[in-house]
Amino acid sequence: MAITFERDRARFTDTVSVDEAEVLIAWLHENPEPNLDLEACTHIHAAPLQVLMAARVPVATWPRDPAFAAWLHSALT
Amino acid sequence: MTPILQQFLSEARDFLQNISEKLLKLEKTPGDAELMSDLFRSVHTLKGNSGLFDFPEMSRVLHAAEDLMSVVRDGDLAFSQELADRLLDAMDFVALLLDEIETGSVSGAAHAQASVRLAESLRALIGQGSGAVAEPLVPVKMVPREAVVLPLAAVPMALRAAWREAARTEAPLHWAVYTPEQDCFFKGEDPFYQARQTPGIVWQRVSNEQSWPPLAELDPYQCALRFDLVSTATSGALEEHFRYVPEQVAIMTLTQQALDPSLDLGAEVDQAASLEAQTNAAASPFVAEILAAQAIALALPDTVSWLPGRLRAIASTLAACYRSLGRVAGLPALDAALALALKTNQAEPLRGWLVLQGTIAGATEQPPGPVASATPATASAAQGSSAGAGATVAPTMSDAPISRGGDELPATAVLKVEQTKVDRLMSLIGEMVVAKNGLPFLAARAEAVYGVRELSREIKTQYAVINRIAEEMQDAIMQVRMMPVSGVFQRFPRLVRDISRKLGKEVLLTLEGEETEADKNIIEALAEPLIHIVRNSLDHGIENPEVRRSAGKAAEGRLVIRASQDSGRVLIDISDDGKGIDPAVIKRKAYEKGIIDETVLERISDQEAVNLVFAAGFSTAETVSDLSGRGVGMDAVRNAVERVNGSVNLTSETGKGTRLRLSLPLSMAVTNVMVIESNKQIFGVPMEMVLETVRVPRSEIRSIKNRETIVLRNRILPLRSLNELLAEDLPQVSNELDEMATLVVQIHGESLGIVVDDFREVVDIILKPMGGILNAVPGYSGSALLGDGSVLMVLNPKELVTWQ
Repeated sequence: MAITFERDRARFTDTVSVDEAEVLIAWLHENPEPNLDLEACTHIHAAPLQVLMAARVPVATWPRDPAFAAWLHSALT
Repeated sequence: MTPILQQFLSEARDFLQNISEKLLKLEKTPGDAELMSDLFRSVHTLKGNSGLFDFPEMSRVLHAAEDLMSVVRDGDLAFSQELADRLLDAMDFVALLLDEIETGSVSGAAHAQASVRLAESLRALIGQGSGAVAEPLVPVKMVPREAVVLPLAAVPMALRAAWREAARTEAPLHWAVYTPEQDCFFKGEDPFYQARQTPGIVWQRVSNEQSWPPLAELDPYQCALRFDLVSTATSGALEEHFRYVPEQVAIMTLTQQALDPSLDLGAEVDQAASLEAQTNAAASPFVAEILAAQAIALALPDTVSWLPGRLRAIASTLAACYRSLGRVAGLPALDAALALALKTNQAEPLRGWLVLQGTIAGATEQPPGPVASATPATASAAQGSSAGAGATVAPTMSDAPISRGGDELPATAVLKVEQTKVDRLMSLIGEMVVAKNGLPFLAARAEAVYGVRELSREIKTQYAVINRIAEEMQDAIMQVRMMPVSGVFQRFPRLVRDISRKLGKEVLLTLEGEETEADKNIIEALAEPLIHIVRNSLDHGIENPEVRRSAGKAAEGRLVIRASQDSGRVLIDISDDGKGIDPAVIKRKAYEKGIIDETVLERISDQEAVNLVFAAGFSTAETVSDLSGRGVGMDAVRNAVERVNGSVNLTSETGKGTRLRLSLPLSMAVTNVMVIESNKQIFGVPMEMVLETVRVPRSEIRSIKNRETIVLRNRILPLRSLNELLAEDLPQVSNELDEMATLVVQIHGESLGIVVDDFREVVDIILKPMGGILNAVPGYSGSALLGDGSVLMVLNPKELVTWQ
C-alpha cells in the first residue's frame, strides 16, 4: 500500500497506483478536512491524481523530486 | 526474437496474403457477403495479434482498416476500387513494418506520421458512407491541431520572456498539449507518467478539461486531464515520445509571434499574469462549483419573502466569480439583470444572464451537472466560446459495441513448425534407413561367420518389421514437407493486377491445380522463376488492348497458370495468348548479340531459336522497363529451375501465344538413382537424367572424327566413356557378349550415350550435397550412404560433360 492514512493526513510513499483512486475517494468522504504528505512520493497515477485535483486536497509537504513537485504544483494549488 | 514474435510474423504474412487475395476477389464480386465477413475477420484478427506487441503504428492502421471493413460489411458503404486500393496500400504498409521487424531495423516511430495519415485516409472513406454510420465508429478523439489554444496566460511573464529569446535562436521550444482519451486507464495507460517522461521539459501543467463534478459523482477512471508542457526537445523527439497516442497530442513550435505579448489576452491579465499563474488554474474548478451553486439557487421557487436578499447575494457572487476569471465584459448587464429581477421579484432575469454567459446549458429546471466554465485556456479566446469549448470535449467511447459476430476462428488442427525441425527429422529418418539396411548384412554374418542360423532368421524377421515402419515414417515426413503450389500461386492475382495496370493492359488470370503438392523446397524454388515468367508474359507476351483488337483477338489477354502432377513430377504450365515469340527476331537478336554465329544462324530450327531466350544475356525488349527486359530473366529462370533438378520447356507460336512448361521433381529429399559400375567402383546417376539403358555391341560403334557414335533407332548418338569423363585412362569393360553398357542421358535437350562397365540396381537414396572443399569439385551432385555402410558418389552428368 503506497498510502498510509493517519486520521486527517494521507502519507504517500513511492508510486501510487491506479487502484488507489477508489480507496482515496472513500477516505476523502470520511475526512472532510484532509491534507497530504507527499514527501516520499515518487509518482501518482493519473487516476488518483484526478481524485486529488477534484477534491482540492491541500498539500502539507511536497515531493522531494523537484520536477515531480512542479507537475503537482500546477495540479494541486 | 522471441518465439511468439516469430509466430506472429509468419501468421501476419499469411493474413496479409489472405487479405489481399480476398480484396481482389471482392473486386470481382463486390456483393459477396461471406467473403466480406471473412475479410473483416482476417483484418480483425491481425489487428488483435499486432496489439500483443509494441507496434502502435501497425495496430493503428489495422484498426482503421477494421473500422472501414466493418462499415462495408454492414452494407453502409459500397465496396469500391478506391477502397480496395487504400486497403491494399494499408496492407503494404503493414508488410513493410513486418519486414523491418524481421530484419531487426525497427524504426516504427519513423512511420508514425505515415501511419496516422493512412489511418486518416481509411477513416475518410468511412465518412463517405451514409453519414450517420460514421460516428459510432470513430471513438478516437482527435485533437484539432489548429484549434488548440495555448494557455500562455498561465505561464509566468519571466518564463515567457525567456521563451521569446529561445524562439529567436536555432532551437525553438515546443509546446505539447496531451489530452488523453477518456478510457485510457482501461488500456493500462498512465498519461501522467507518459507526460512526466517527456524529454526536455521546461514548463508543465496538469489541468482538467472540464470542471470537476462533486466528489461523490466523480468517476476516477474516466480521464478528464489535460497536460500542457513546453520542452526543449525537437518535435521529432516529442512525436517519438507520444507515438502511441499521436491523435491525442498536438505539438506546436513556439514562434516569436505565438509569444508576442501584444497578442496576449489584454493588459489586465498580462499585469496579473504571475498571480494568475498560481491562482487561475486552481480557481477554475472552484469557480465552476460556485457558479453551479448559484444556478441551483436561482432555480429555487421565487415565492419566498427573502427573495430580494437572495438575488442580491447571488448577483454579487456571480460578479466576483466573473471578475476573478477576468471576464468583466458581462458585468454591466448583470447589474441591469439584478435591477430587473428585484423589480419583478423573479429570479428569471438573473438566470437569463447566466445562460447568456454560456455557463448553463439551457434553462433547465434540473440542477446543472458539471458546469462548463471558463478555463484559463478559453479565457484568452473570445468570450462565450467557452461553452463551445466545453462541449467539444464530450465524446464518450461508444458503448454500442460493433457487432463482431463470427469472431471465433474455426479451430483448425494445424500446427506451425519451424522448417529446421522437419529437416532434422528428415535427416534422422535418412540415417535410420541406412542403419536398418545394415541388418540384412548382420543376418548374413550371423549365419556365415558365427553359424547361428536361427538368429539370422530372427534378425531378418525383425528387419522386415523395422523396414516397414521406417518406410512409413519416411513417407509421413515427406508428407509433412509437402505444400500445395497455391502458396506460390496466391501472389499472382495481385502481381498481375498491379503490373497489367501499370502497363495499361487488360489481363484475365486463370489459376488451375492450386492444390497440387510438392516439397516445400521445390515450391519455394519455384516462386522466383514464376514471377519472372509472369512478368515476361505480361510485358512482352500480351499486347495492348488496341493491338489485340486490330489482330482480331479479345481486348483482354488471357494468362493461365496451371499446375499438375505427372508420374512423380510437378508440371507447371504458364501460357498466354499474346503475340508469341518470333523465331526470326530471336535469331537476329541472338546473332547481333554474338550469342550464335553465322553458321548456327543458318542451321537452327525455329524451335531451337525460340529456346535461345534462355541464353545468358539475351533480351528482346526494345526498351528496358522496370519489369523485365534486362536480359537476366529467362536465363535466371532456367538456372533456378535446374538447381532443383527441374527443366524448362518453351513452345511458342507467332501471333498466338507462348507456353512455358516447368517440370520439377516432387521432392528433393529422396533421390532415385541408378547405380552403375565403372573401373571397379560404383556411382549413382540421377534417374531423371536417364532416358534409357542399352547394351551396344562393340562392333556397332563407329568413329566419326575421333568421336565414337552409334546409330540408335535411326539416329546418331554420340558416345563418351565414363572413364574418359573421369579422366581415367582405361577402356570400359564389356560383358561376355562383347556388348557395352550404355546409359542414354539427356543434357540440355540433347541425347548422349555414356558408356559404363555395368548397370546395377535403382535405389532411393538421401542425397547429401558435398560439403567443404569437395563442394567445389565439379561433376558430382553429392554422396549417399548405402545399406552396407559404403558411400555412393552420385554423378552430375551435365556438369561432367560440360566441364570437359
